[in-house]
Amino acid sequence: MVGVKNISAPYIYICTRMRVRKTTLLPREEYMRMLNMNLPEITRLIGETDYKQEIDELGTTFKGIDLIEVALSWNLAKEYQKIQEITPGTLKQFTRAYLHRWDIQNVLTILKGRLQGAKTGKIKEILIPAGSLDRVALDRLLAEESSDKIVEMLKGYRMYPQVFAREYPLSKESGSYSQLENELYKQFYSEIISEAESGIKGGKLFLDFIRLEIDIKNVKTLFRLRADTFEEDARAMYIEGGTLSAADFVTLNTMKDQNEFIDALKEKIRQKSIIALLDELRSEKAIRDVENRLTRVQLEQMERMSKRNPISIHPILVYLERKKYEVFNLRALARGKESKLPSEKIAEYLVV
Amino acid sequence: MAAELVTAVDVVMTVEQIKASQIGMKAIAAALAVGMTGIATGIAEMAIGTAAVGATAENKDTFGLVLLLTVIPETIVIFGLVVALLLLFV
Repeated sequence: MVGVKNISAPYIYICTRMRVRKTTLLPREEYMRMLNMNLPEITRLIGETDYKQEIDELGTTFKGIDLIEVALSWNLAKEYQKIQEITPGTLKQFTRAYLHRWDIQNVLTILKGRLQGAKTGKIKEILIPAGSLDRVALDRLLAEESSDKIVEMLKGYRMYPQVFAREYPLSKESGSYSQLENELYKQFYSEIISEAESGIKGGKLFLDFIRLEIDIKNVKTLFRLRADTFEEDARAMYIEGGTLSAADFVTLNTMKDQNEFIDALKEKIRQKSIIALLDELRSEKAIRDVENRLTRVQLEQMERMSKRNPISIHPILVYLERKKYEVFNLRALARGKESKLPSEKIAEYLVV
Repeated sequence: MAAELVTAVDVVMTVEQIKASQIGMKAIAAALAVGMTGIATGIAEMAIGTAAVGATAENKDTFGLVLLLTVIPETIVIFGLVVALLLLFV
């Protein structure tokens, strides 16, 4: 009878659906095959998979790399919207909170696009309306020419009062949205943590997932800062909520020696999966490889968590992440082929 | 003499009562065997059934297989039924 009272039929239903969907994602061998193909062949192959509907619909309007880009974005948005629709109860609440990051990404894409003078159509192609801002809302934002008006229109959304009102004038003055972006993501993580800690059933498992993500993000930032030649304020990039404290983050950033840094990081971070990887990163030089390996560890650990808690938010979040990386991989492949990069080089960018 | 007669009647009554009670107990045991295994089957099929519907919603080809998997816990209630029949008629 263990666990019977905790298992509800809608949870089993949605978790099974997510697990089945995960099996339909492209396997590693497919990517390896695609590495030896040209762009039209890749488009045809993608058109035979789950992306068929988008490729067929957009085939008349777009060609080549644009077709793949837009089809991938549309498919990802459709998939995420569908999942939000079919997820029951508290799982819906957690899923929505988790997908709120796409609102941030979309708004920043529009603002950055406007800043760089990009065409509306080009910006629209890369938007992924997977959060609370749907296609109509994003179109309304895109219709505005000035950034001030765009920010004005965001007043009704929760990201406005805390962050935009405070950070936007500063970003406008400096001409860079990096600080605004940092603050938006910090607020995003603090919001989902408070949602997970609000005592809702299953919140503890959601929190574990978020903690792992924050830790991976902080470790990636530390490695990036090490690879960077500019002196930047590390504290501004630290995300609260993981196992690494802000003070430790700043101290670790000041360490120059790689071995000393990794030893100290191993002591401070309380994620076994990351600790196991850190030793292997001692000799790793390229930041892209480090990030790739950290992402892989994150996905593997998330996978393990979803197997340990098969009827929880984990299978849903794992699918969301896997799907995101499938789209990233296909985009990297298509972009690489378009730029005539050698297959070995493209393979380095794939998370498989 | 009268007292002995009363005692004998009492004993005869008690044996009948015991027999009746045995039949009653058998009936209760049979009811429990069927009833509890029925509940267990229900719980097991609830989990498998919802997973089956989920799997079929994603991939219709799995319908035949998941239908079979859904009815496997029926064996539990069949075992209960067999035990109940053995209790009542053997």
